[in-house]
Amino acid sequence: MITTLVGNYPKVPSLTDGPNLRTAITRYDQKRITAEEMARVADDATRDAIGEQARAGLDLLTDGHIRWEDEVTYFSRGLSGVSLNGLLRFFDTNTYYRQPIVSGALAWQKPVTVRDYTFAVEHSQKPLKAVLPGPLTLACHVQDNHYKDFKKLTFAAAEALNAEATALQAAGASFIQWNEPTLVRAKEHFAVFQELAKIVTRGITVKTALYTYFGDISGLYPQFLGLPFQVLGLDFVMGEANFGLLKGFPQEKELGFGIVDARNTKLEIVEELVGHLDGLRATVSLDRVYLNPNCGLEFLPRKNAYEKLERIVAAAARAKEVLL
Amino acid sequence: MTKGLLTTSVGSFPKPDYLLRARNQFAAGKLPARELEELEKRATKEWIDFQEEIGIDILVDGEQYRGDMATYFAELMDGFTISGLVRSYGNRYYRKPIAVGPVARRGPMTLEMWKYAQGLTGRPVKGMLTGPYTMADWSFNEYYPTREAFIMDLARAVHEEALDLERAGATYIQIDEPALSTRPEEMELGSRALGIVTQGLSAHTITHICYGDFAKVFQHLVTLPVDQLDLELANSNYQLLDYFRKARFEKAIGLGVIDVHNHLVEQVEEVKRGIKQALQVLKPHQIYVDPDCGLKTRSVEEAQAKLRVMVQANREVKRELGIE
Repeated sequence: MITTLVGNYPKVPSLTDGPNLRTAITRYDQKRITAEEMARVADDATRDAIGEQARAGLDLLTDGHIRWEDEVTYFSRGLSGVSLNGLLRFFDTNTYYRQPIVSGALAWQKPVTVRDYTFAVEHSQKPLKAVLPGPLTLACHVQDNHYKDFKKLTFAAAEALNAEATALQAAGASFIQWNEPTLVRAKEHFAVFQELAKIVTRGITVKTALYTYFGDISGLYPQFLGLPFQVLGLDFVMGEANFGLLKGFPQEKELGFGIVDARNTKLEIVEELVGHLDGLRATVSLDRVYLNPNCGLEFLPRKNAYEKLERIVAAAARAKEVLL
Repeated sequence: MTKGLLTTSVGSFPKPDYLLRARNQFAAGKLPARELEELEKRATKEWIDFQEEIGIDILVDGEQYRGDMATYFAELMDGFTISGLVRSYGNRYYRKPIAVGPVARRGPMTLEMWKYAQGLTGRPVKGMLTGPYTMADWSFNEYYPTREAFIMDLARAVHEEALDLERAGATYIQIDEPALSTRPEEMELGSRALGIVTQGLSAHTITHICYGDFAKVFQHLVTLPVDQLDLELANSNYQLLDYFRKARFEKAIGLGVIDVHNHLVEQVEEVKRGIKQALQVLKPHQIYVDPDCGLKTRSVEEAQAKLRVMVQANREVKRELGIE
């Protein structure tokens, strides 16, 4: 069993002695510090986020997405044909993203996340995974003024994400994940997504993961379990129905078990988490489980996010004692 | 002569620089609460005077003493603590309420400021409250076993505040519910909670709703237990008006004619066009002309320029069409 997170980690430290990314961004926007100085603070904040994940005892880390403004903008604005529009609400959260406008061919030009990933790897004692937006989530959050054809737009997004994954693989990434909340909130697109999944994973020989959250896979089961990713991440907090949809989980696949609520500060009880893992054993053996929050941790203050990771690590350790 | 087309505002106005500085000093423990309050009253008076000067019909106090619209109330209630920093978008952070016990009103929360503002003018000043659904949705919950129990306790607290405002003489009471349209499946619950808030009130009641998936929530919106729905029209090019064309609609609407997310000040002609479009669907007495949303994210100069355009455009429409 491997403990991990789904993607982002709060950017601002709970104590004031951490790297002050917030102040740096304000100063950078006011042109009071240079791009180099801004980059240095972002790197410090990345190291800080990695250090904290490691201190919590997590097995598989991320770079914390410290430079990401939200789940879609950072990657989108690295592509051709994109400009940025006003703020829109991200799903039913009280967080907002800046909507990318596609006004020309949406195409990959150069790596967007590779430098962030390799920097994080150089400064981590623990393994890291690379996390990208999913093609459907990306396509459904842009305003398309170019393709005027949803399927063409999604295919372009998938090609761009495949190019990025290929670059990450070439840079040494051994685990590449796509985050796809839209898939469980707009299930009518599943047939298209089956084609997108083939595109994003084309030529990727390292481990691949697809994480869904903010909902369940009812209506997509059992086809969902056949998608071409080795790890399938599901949300068991906002998607309780997922508990009943694991029967026949493929032997060769692994499960991302999103059982800790990353959208509420209330802390889970370790014994209850162990109980969920005990229940899970009937369908998925625990050596094929990634234990993680249900979604990215940035909905929480830093201190609470850290406490959530501690509970995940404690639950995994306790489960190994009593269940294995 | 036909009556109608009264002008008003959604709630918040930007804070002047001296007040922003004072709030920072107060947060750092360098300014006594009394002095901050004096400055809040000064800024409130300036906004009341401005609204009178340009000829707005129904005034607001501008919420110069509030930070976040949910956290402001939570800090004054039993059962809440306040979280560490959570990111809302870009480089914007705020602190969220956390329910840690039964939530209840300790005493009046907005009454004193409302009385102060109303004492400055002969025109009506709206009572401004954050609705129970939004309060719950924008808080963490560590206490209540269900969202419903949390929302209903909040509804009772907000109702008590509304009663106090009405007893003090408020003839317009607005209960903001920007989170309400995000989950169609919970509209019925949110509507029930709003019904508790407005029960027995004789004041003209209003709820402000931000744009969600309008097609899915419209049938619920029209039955919400308030006299007026306040909606963003300008930033959707008045497309929402189509819904009112199809249905028989008896309530009043707050017609948002000013885009609050844009620095650019609207042209008088485009605001006039918006008002005239609404008049094709609704009667003049049903229409209250206002900005799309609170203006607090604009600069003082931008907000004032936008309000002047709004009032001028409305005045011209009224003159052209002979509306009193």
